[in-house]
Amino acid sequence: MSANNARVSAAGIRTTTESSEWDLVITRVFDAPRELVFKAWTDTRHMAQWWGPKGFTNPVCELDVRAGGAIRIHMRAPNGVVYPMSGLFEEITEPERLVFVSSALDEHGNSMFDLRNTVTFTEQRGKTVLTLQARVIKATAQAPQYLKGMEAGWTQSLDRLTDLLDVIKGELDR
Amino acid sequence: MDQLSETFGALADPTRRAILARLASGEASVTELAAPFEMSMPAISKHLKVLERAGLIVRGREAQWRPCRLRAGPLQDVAGWVEHYRQFWEHSFDRLDDYLRELKKQDSKNKKEKKHVRKQRKG
Repeated sequence: MSANNARVSAAGIRTTTESSEWDLVITRVFDAPRELVFKAWTDTRHMAQWWGPKGFTNPVCELDVRAGGAIRIHMRAPNGVVYPMSGLFEEITEPERLVFVSSALDEHGNSMFDLRNTVTFTEQRGKTVLTLQARVIKATAQAPQYLKGMEAGWTQSLDRLTDLLDVIKGELDR
Repeated sequence: MDQLSETFGALADPTRRAILARLASGEASVTELAAPFEMSMPAISKHLKVLERAGLIVRGREAQWRPCRLRAGPLQDVAGWVEHYRQFWEHSFDRLDDYLRELKKQDSKNKKEKKHVRKQRKG
């Protein structure tokens, strides 16, 4: 997996490709036509349904889909913590490319972590190859803590599910 | 600018990344670092200053040639966020995948219903 290759060890760095340790590049193939996948990214009704890990909801999800248009998403973790995010669309080329800046906000609404995200949609025999490239523009000292907290949010929800399954299994065995 | 932003700023440049890659295999002098690049010594020195300020390298004081050495700390911080953010997207994409499946199902159901209505009208 590229994630492991991309990890920087204390022993040294591996720079084999340009998709390097400090750029995040993820590619995923979706079994759906490109127009539909693009729509899932640009229609608030759709986006609110999938943005964020399992168990998260998006009580606020606003997208002004045009160059210079604003993005506002409040993501709510299963433990109740809300993660507000603001952003700005920089480029919209339907249905093949989206460029937007996203900023994670602290409790005072100040940005802690700004990224430029480039999403490309390529059609391949009825499927869609989606590539997301993210590059950090700004990261404050709080950013790592923030990301760790968010990850704890979804790991907990997965743990809860596992616990629940164990309980159910236990009852069935009885 | 705080340390992390500075780290990312320093890493944004391909020459500086190449310098770090070289230093990953051991310390080197400025002359050695400059060798693979078609760049003047002052240009290389400028890059090294940026890397030093970002805490990504340290320069020895013991020798006349002041060898450059890699510092792993800030790089690990950076790798940490990449991993976290990657996971965020992997999880979101899992949901997007499910959601698109659902949309497609609904779409074909709607089409079938329309066909059915048309048939009924014809008949």
